[in-house]
Parts: sequence; C-alpha cells; structure tokens
Amino acid sequence: MASSRKITLRSSDGESFEVEEAVAVESQTIKHMIEDDCADNAIPLPNVTSKILAKVIEYCKKHVDASKAEDRVNDEDLKAWDAAFIKVDQVDQATLFDLILAANYLNIKSLLDLTCQTVADMIKGNLFPVRNEWLNFTFSIANRELVLVCLTEWVAHRRLFCS
Amino acid sequence: MEWDSSSNSDLSGDEEEAGFMLNDGGPIPFPVENLIQIASPCGFVVTDALEPDHPIIYVNAVFEMVTGYRAEEVLGRNCRFLQCRGPFAKRRHPLVDSAVVAEIRRCMDEGIEFQGELLNFRKDGSPLLNRLRLTPIYGDDEAVTHVIGIQFFTEANIDLGPISGKDSTKSTERFRTGLSSLPILSTGDRNVARGLCGIFQLSDEVISLKILSRLTPRDIAAVGSVCTRFYALTKNEDLWRMVCQNAWGSETTRLLETVPGAKRLGWGRLARELTTLEAAAWRKLTVGGAVEPSRCNFSACAVGNRVVLFGGEGVNMQPMNDTFVLDLNASNPEWRHVQVSSPPPGRWGHTLTCVNGSHLVVFGGCGRQGLLNDVFLLDLDANPPTWREISGLAPPLPRSWHSSCTLDGSKLIVSGGCADSGVLLSDTFLLDLSMEKPIWREIPAAWTPPSRLGHTLTVYGGRKILMFGGLAKSGPLRFRSSDVFTMDLSEEEPCWRCVTGSGMPGAGNPGGIAPPPRLDHVAVSLPSGRILIFGGSVAGLHSASQLYLLDPTDEKPTWRILNVPGRPPRFAWGHSTCVVGGTRAIVLGGQTGEEWMLTELHELSLASSLI
Repeated sequence: MASSRKITLRSSDGESFEVEEAVAVESQTIKHMIEDDCADNAIPLPNVTSKILAKVIEYCKKHVDASKAEDRVNDEDLKAWDAAFIKVDQVDQATLFDLILAANYLNIKSLLDLTCQTVADMIKGNLFPVRNEWLNFTFSIANRELVLVCLTEWVAHRRLFCS
Repeated sequence: MEWDSSSNSDLSGDEEEAGFMLNDGGPIPFPVENLIQIASPCGFVVTDALEPDHPIIYVNAVFEMVTGYRAEEVLGRNCRFLQCRGPFAKRRHPLVDSAVVAEIRRCMDEGIEFQGELLNFRKDGSPLLNRLRLTPIYGDDEAVTHVIGIQFFTEANIDLGPISGKDSTKSTERFRTGLSSLPILSTGDRNVARGLCGIFQLSDEVISLKILSRLTPRDIAAVGSVCTRFYALTKNEDLWRMVCQNAWGSETTRLLETVPGAKRLGWGRLARELTTLEAAAWRKLTVGGAVEPSRCNFSACAVGNRVVLFGGEGVNMQPMNDTFVLDLNASNPEWRHVQVSSPPPGRWGHTLTCVNGSHLVVFGGCGRQGLLNDVFLLDLDANPPTWREISGLAPPLPRSWHSSCTLDGSKLIVSGGCADSGVLLSDTFLLDLSMEKPIWREIPAAWTPPSRLGHTLTVYGGRKILMFGGLAKSGPLRFRSSDVFTMDLSEEEPCWRCVTGSGMPGAGNPGGIAPPPRLDHVAVSLPSGRILIFGGSVAGLHSASQLYLLDPTDEKPTWRILNVPGRPPRFAWGHSTCVVGGTRAIVLGGQTGEEWMLTELHELSLASSLI
C-alpha cells in the first residue's frame, strides 16, 4: 500500500533519518514497533550507528523501489546492485560485520542473507588446519580479507600435559 | 536446538572463545588447560606468502607487548623491520647476523622450515634475541600461501650505545623488566578485540545458522579448529544436518537418514566420513536365496536399502525377464524372485534406474528380436509389484550398452550405446517421467563426445551430468576411453565440456593419475558430487580393482587414487553395482568364471557401519 507516511529513525549517535514507511517496514523489528504503536516519535535504534543505518536505509530503499517499479527491475540488475553494495575491501570489513549485526537486530532477512553469504564466500575453501609436531595446535587462516586465526598458541618446548 | 543468544561477545578482549578456559567437560582437541602455566609466552606472526615481500597479516598480543610495535603499525610490512634498530632506522643493524638472514631467505625460497636465532630490536631500540621458527603453510595447489613465525624473545645482552639522539636508558630499564613481568596470557588475541576479524562479534546463532550453514562439510571441519568457540559450534548436529542438506541436496540427506545406524553415527561424523572417506572399506557379504537361472549382463539398481535385479543373459544367451529383490535391511538378506503379472520382454545390456523414489525404470537393451527402445516402470511398493509400459512419444533409437541416470529424481537421461548393425551412438535423450504423458526429448548439443558404449553417466551438483570412459569411436577404430565429459542441464543451451584426462583438443591438462581407459566399469556418485570409478574392462595388466576419485567441481579436477582396506572383488567387469542408502556400493557378479554367484557380494562401505 502506498502510504507515504514518514517514519523517523534515530541512530545510536543521535542522528535522525526520515524514511518512507514502506522502506522502514523492510525491517520486521521496525514493522512490529509501528504496529504496536510505538512509532509516534522517532524510533530509537541504540544498536545501530548512523554510518551503518545510512547503508541499511540505502539497501531497503533500493529493494522497495525495485519491487514496485513499473517495469519490474531485472533480477539480474538487482543482484548486480547487491554485489556492488556489499563489495568489501580490507577497509570495510568492519562495516560488513556491523551490517550483519544491524540486519539481525532490525530483522531484515534479505540483507542478513546477503551479508552472511558474503562472509561464507570469503571463508569457503580458504581454511585449512595446520598441525606440525612442534606447533601442535590447530591453526586456520582464511583469505586476506578474513583472517580467522586460531587463538590457542602455546609454547611447544614446554609441553605440559594435563594428567 | 538450544542457542545461547545472550552470549553476544563483548569487545573487552576477554572473550571466552578467545581464551583457554574451556571446561565443558567434553573432549578437547588440544591440551589447552596447561596454558595457564606458561611462563614465557611467544610472539606469533603470520605473513602472506602470495603477496610480494611477504607482508604481515597478523601479529599476536605478545608480539605487540614485547616489540613495542602495535599491530596497526606493522600490518602490511615485511618482518625485517625488526632487524632495524627503532622505527626510524632504514637499514639492518650491523650486529644482525647476515648469514642467518641469508639462511632465512634460502628456506623461504625453498619452502622449508627455518629455525634459528636472530638479533631484533624493539621500537625503542633496545635489543632482543629472537629465537625464531618459520613454518611455511601450503595451500591446495602445493604453493606456499602463508608463513607462520613463532618467536621466543629473550633479552639480548649487548651494549649498543644510545640510539642516535635519544636517551634510551630509561626506556630500556623499563623494558628489561618487561619480559619477566609479562602477564600470564590467559586469554588470546587482542587483535580480535580490535576487529581484525569481526566475525567474533556476532552471536552463536547468527554465525551458525547464517554463515556456517552455508559452508561445505570440509570447511566446517576446518572452521572447527579455528578457536574453541567455533569448535563448540561445529559440534552441533543440527548445524551439520543443515550443512549436509545444503551441500548434498535434500534428497540425499533424506536418503542418508534412512541408513540404519545413521542416527547413532550423527551428521557430523557422517559428513566427515563421506568427505574424507576415512572409513571406506571393502567387505564381503553373504546373502541367501539365489538368482536362478544364473545369468550375466543383468541390470541392478537400489531403491533405498533394497537391491532390484532385472533381466540378463542366460547360459544359452537367451534374454531373461525375471525380477529379483534383495532387502539388505533384513536380518538375513536373501534374494527373492518377484512374481509380476506382465514383465517387460526379456533383455540384456539394458539400464535400470531409480526414479520417483521407489520406482525403477528399464530402458533399451537387446531382446529376443533385436534391440529395444521401450520403457517400463516398476512400482516396487505396489502389492504385488507391477511393471507398466510407458509409451513415450518419439523414443530414441533402439540400443544396448548405453548409459543412463536420473536427474531431479524423475527425469531419465540416456546417452550413447550401440544401435543396429553395431553403429555407436553419441546422442543424449531425456524423458520426464513426472508428466502424465512423457515425451522423449533429445538434448541438442553443438558438439558431442565421440560415440561410445559401455560408459557411465552420473549426476552431480544438482543438474550436471558426468560421462566417463566406455569404448569410443575414433575414426574407423574403437578404443577404450578414460575421457571425462560434463554437461550442465540447468543452462539454457547445455553443452558438453571436456574435463581432465582427455586427449581431446581443448581439454585441460590431466591432473593426477588418470584411471586406465576402460568400459563396463562402475561409477559411484558420492554425496559431495565426487565420483568414484571402479572396475571395468581394462587393457593390459592394469588392476581394475583400484579405486579412483574425481571431484568435477574442483577448479582443476584431479584424479586421486583411493586406497581402501579390505579385499575388493578380484575381477570387476561385466558386473553391476548400485549404491545402497547413499553409503554403500554393492558389487554384484563380476567373476569371469562360468558361474555368476550372486550370493557372495562385495560391498564398499563409505561410512562407518554401526550395525
């Protein structure tokens, strides 16, 4: 329904974002808040910074526009837009995880799936355990963007066995 | 499934998963309890060996504390800055032993481990003795991808004089006591707390359900060894079931659930075993009953845990049309002749494939009056089991020794084979048995592999088919083949592609040791999409009972030999094999003696049998 009612969202650092209701309710969390009549004033989102909230809104706007466009936006085009949106270089790795946390908190399934699939793709096939007789712990490392390092290091020449 | 979603990690660095306080009483993969006793912690550095000059991509907290350099300052640089006295020096300090440095370079070039001692310097210029061990890590294609450096730092008793212009005595004093008074490291990595890897900020639920569930079984096994938190997450059966389902498809997972003993084995172990094939073994099975009259060139297929056998060539070369069932779930499995009202005409050299769950479809073969192209469907669960002819429109040429497989559970695919007057075929046809009135459809392809008989077709990765071996046409001659071809039927215009082991123009370099060319062999499709090749008629002295494994989804598919304990069948061609319950391949017949004993079966079990 094209209700052009505006909803105000407030980020954790106090910035306000005015969005159309249709965009805001992409988030199930916000949708429930509106339904429960908690949305008269701004909706506070204490877990989401303005930087991340801006990106989330950008994503939701695009997806709402895509679904109501008269000449239905091509699935391929939307996928390409998603890929560009989520493209991560080393600097933005933190943003990726913040987006996951936000998408989870705001309950936006498609964004959560997109971001988590990106992380899964980074891990895929890039892990391998390492064990040699001196190190004697297991260590895995993924690609450059996602370093998953084993945190159990220990001094091998002082092997102290529990017994 | 219980998720403790309140355990969102805080970023204070005291994350439980980063530490060694694992006390859930369960088995622990490494002796972590003792770490609390460690007196001299070590620095830990990881460099990227694929990038020029091996930049550092990870340093641990000890490194930071001892050297005085913070992670942000050193990531992306080569470790050699430690040989310079202080951050402003441009050159290696003269007291650093250049022979050792050369030795490090030599080891790195050769991809071997280095052990030795080297003089290093803290950020404030004070000297450190670094007992260093560098270990190269090899990636999948045998190139070194990372180097791990473990550093034992001790004080170096060298008087270097003041660092130019700076009064270092005070700071040196301070740091001299530094090493011995380092706090016992009871938790791990401060870098993680700073977001070097943000994945640790996420809750267990998100990590497991949303990220880990999308990985392959092989990756989950590796993820489990990253840290104690992930180790705990990957112990969850529900996660494994999701992973198996995503990796192998819901049909295979459902099938695996019916395997007796599977519940006790658990998804985690089942997935591991089907991935590593560590529990694969040959066994001999003795069953009761008999398949009489004896025959060869029959066709067998498994429906769940029941093996169905149809037709074959009798002693006087007459085509047979009887049906037998062997229930391997029974306590005393035995062959039972199935009384059916209207069996298909007798035949040999036909194919029998499972469709629609518990139905079997017969196609083609050589009957009493010549080659056939009819289709018959057996409903095994009907009472009594009934054969029914399917008149599909526009059937392919009558043939024998073709290959077939089932796509999407209900589409029969047949390919190649031998037509009248010995002409070899190379076509591919599809019959959708889920339709009311099935119609044969040829799959057009601009180019087809050389026509052949006695080859195999297997399905992998959902809607892809793989063709291997057979007796292939080459000009006026015919040769045994070890070529691999694949076709992706989810494409708009599917086409055949050459894979490894092929002498065809445009084929990739054969990776690994390809199986000797053969026909009438067996191809078993594993849940992960890999295929296992066994047996067949092989020229010369090659052993046909060697198992070969190929993963067509690899970037560079490579043949691997699988060595499996137990004794395989001695002679292995002209036999029939079917996969029971997704985890056992049963080999029937295959003795080249006159008798085709079907009471002694050979079974290749792929996972531990807990029965």
